[in-house]
Amino acid sequence: MSIRQHLSTFFSEFAQDPSAGAGARVADMPNGSIEIESVTKRFRKVTASKKSYTTVKSDVMGWFKNRKESGEVSHFDALSDVSFSIEPGSSLGIVGRNGSGKSTILKLIAGIYHPDQGTVRVRGTISALIELGAGFHPDFTGRENVFLGGIMYGLSKKEIEARFDDIVRYAELEDCIDDPVRTYSSGMYMRLGFSLAVHTDPDILLVDEVLAVGDATFINRCQETISEFRRRGKTLIFVTHDLSSVSRWCDDAIWLDKGKVRERGEPRYVIDKYLGCVEDAEEAELKRRNEGNLSAENLPLNLDPRDDARGRSRTRWGNKDVEILEVKMSTLEGEDKWLFHGEEGVRVRVTYQINKPLKDLVFGIGVLRADGTEIHGSNTEIDDVSPPLPAENDTYPQTAAYEYNISRLGLLEDSYYLDVAAHSKDGLPYDYHHRLHNFSIRSSKKHSGIYNPPHQWSFEGDEEKFDKAESGVKFARRSRG
Amino acid sequence: MRRILFEIWKFRALLFALIARHLTARYRGSLLGFVWSFLNPLCLIAVYSLVFQYYIRFDSVEHYTLFLFAGLLPWIWFSSGLLEATGSISGGGSLITKSLFPAHILPLVSVLTNLIHFLFAVPLLIGFMLFSGLLPTVSFVALPLVILIEALFLVGLSLALSAINVRYRDVQHILGNVMTLWFFLCPILYPIENVPEAFRFTMLLNPVAQFTEMYQSIFIHGEFPSAAMLTMTFVLSIGVCVFGARVFNHYRDEFAELI
Repeated sequence: MSIRQHLSTFFSEFAQDPSAGAGARVADMPNGSIEIESVTKRFRKVTASKKSYTTVKSDVMGWFKNRKESGEVSHFDALSDVSFSIEPGSSLGIVGRNGSGKSTILKLIAGIYHPDQGTVRVRGTISALIELGAGFHPDFTGRENVFLGGIMYGLSKKEIEARFDDIVRYAELEDCIDDPVRTYSSGMYMRLGFSLAVHTDPDILLVDEVLAVGDATFINRCQETISEFRRRGKTLIFVTHDLSSVSRWCDDAIWLDKGKVRERGEPRYVIDKYLGCVEDAEEAELKRRNEGNLSAENLPLNLDPRDDARGRSRTRWGNKDVEILEVKMSTLEGEDKWLFHGEEGVRVRVTYQINKPLKDLVFGIGVLRADGTEIHGSNTEIDDVSPPLPAENDTYPQTAAYEYNISRLGLLEDSYYLDVAAHSKDGLPYDYHHRLHNFSIRSSKKHSGIYNPPHQWSFEGDEEKFDKAESGVKFARRSRG
Repeated sequence: MRRILFEIWKFRALLFALIARHLTARYRGSLLGFVWSFLNPLCLIAVYSLVFQYYIRFDSVEHYTLFLFAGLLPWIWFSSGLLEATGSISGGGSLITKSLFPAHILPLVSVLTNLIHFLFAVPLLIGFMLFSGLLPTVSFVALPLVILIEALFLVGLSLALSAINVRYRDVQHILGNVMTLWFFLCPILYPIENVPEAFRFTMLLNPVAQFTEMYQSIFIHGEFPSAAMLTMTFVLSIGVCVFGARVFNHYRDEFAELI
């Protein structure tokens, strides 16, 4: 007996309840509006000791008193005192780092979680795409899941039947709608879930990150759907780490940081603020890593750059005749940092110490991509520069420093290694730092490839610029006729 | 209570679809398929018959096999329904944590699916009655009533235990042992007359013993269950239902966080 038959038997005249979904509702708000007022959501910290839990006794008392005993449990606030409201027809993007409370907000709006303090007021029907395939039964076929899911969203059997073909066509699942959904790929899960959610015609659509697994064609379709959705005055809330889609799809954005609203406003503005903060955090992390590199490290006398006993690639080797004491990166203006923009110039400052008389000395420098590709390599010998050597009767050790200036890095957004080395002309390493110093490039433009030369676009007709174009592609636009 | 009733009504289509699905899914991939819902109790009855009738030579009951039948079928519904229901919410996974699924549907599905298995086996029981030379009497009219009362009792208990089990997973482990004890405290293997007067009160305190007696009077004695017993169990079941709904509502808000 197929579920279809069962459904046909049982789903006659399903009385539709417009309040399907969940959450507190207030009649005087327009459909599709959400109000979140000083909401705090607290989670119990899972502790190893059972003693910190509420006792069975206090729980039993709670059944009758109809309230919750809080007990002495350690808690953390996933959201603390968050307030905002959303007008119908707006589309809100929520950005923030992992664990900042983005999904918690969605679950509160959806009514899956309940606030510990404050109120969540929602008016209208909700469809929520919180996780891939959530709400789907893996053993049921796509068809059965559409029916079950539709009922969960509060549709009647007739309504689902009327929309069934559209749902399947939109999800591009005509061929496998009668297969169990456990055989679906994540893209298929997502398409079916999204298709079902938008075809139930909710007043509010909550989407958590799931669209990321869609292919380009489907994402374009999603975008059309979402635009249409907004035209019809529906509300969209969208949680993602793909910031470009926030600026594309949303007219409003919130940046959540550790359970608090840090910024609210125009998406571009909020994203810039957020990125700025992310960069600061990365900068601090790179600084910490790079500072720890050389401190307290006993430079081993080892001429062999191959893997050490534990199978790791060595990051430092050499005979210590010259010791690199400190490696610093900064902008050309002298601001120390490890996170740069692709257009920026970079200064590498290396402090070193000569421990013995040397017959010659070569300094090398290299920039490597994280995968090991060498992007740039140079040394004093190639560039015909001779590092000054101590005079014959000088005492040792002697400390000195050099700077290496790159007027413009021209690299794309990624993380990189900076290699520095001191060695003799015949290649004997004094001190070799390989994959020891990290820096990162951030860029607002997403060029592809590994290198971003200075470039500019000019078009014929824009005479002034066209003549001035130095490096870049010139497009000769055919004049009409 | 009213909230739960309203939501059961609202999501009844989902409830039916899930029950239908559970019925067909249970024996998917097995050769005998649906026959297992008859074979399982039959095997149990055969074993008990053999041991008690022929080895222990328990002979204080006429039609002992039929007697076992009448007591065991409802017991299997009760015990497997309750055990399944207790784990249903904690095993609900992303349905509870990531979607707008109405949680109380799950224990209901377990109870009702097992009820349907029970109902499917009733014709088998009637066949066995005829085989033993007994004809179904008008007392069968009371059967739906008894089933309804027991269902209320079971639903109430399931709601409470499934909800508590989310926080204290011990419940389902304790329950497994409790059910074994409970089974022997019900007059399923032995008639209630065999219980010494001094212990007879335990039967009165045990609603499942009362249900068992009522089934036996319908199936074997061809008598209407006593009105006193019906009233008593009915009132108790309503009470358990209200209690269960209360407990369930107390815990339901934290399901999504604890699973």
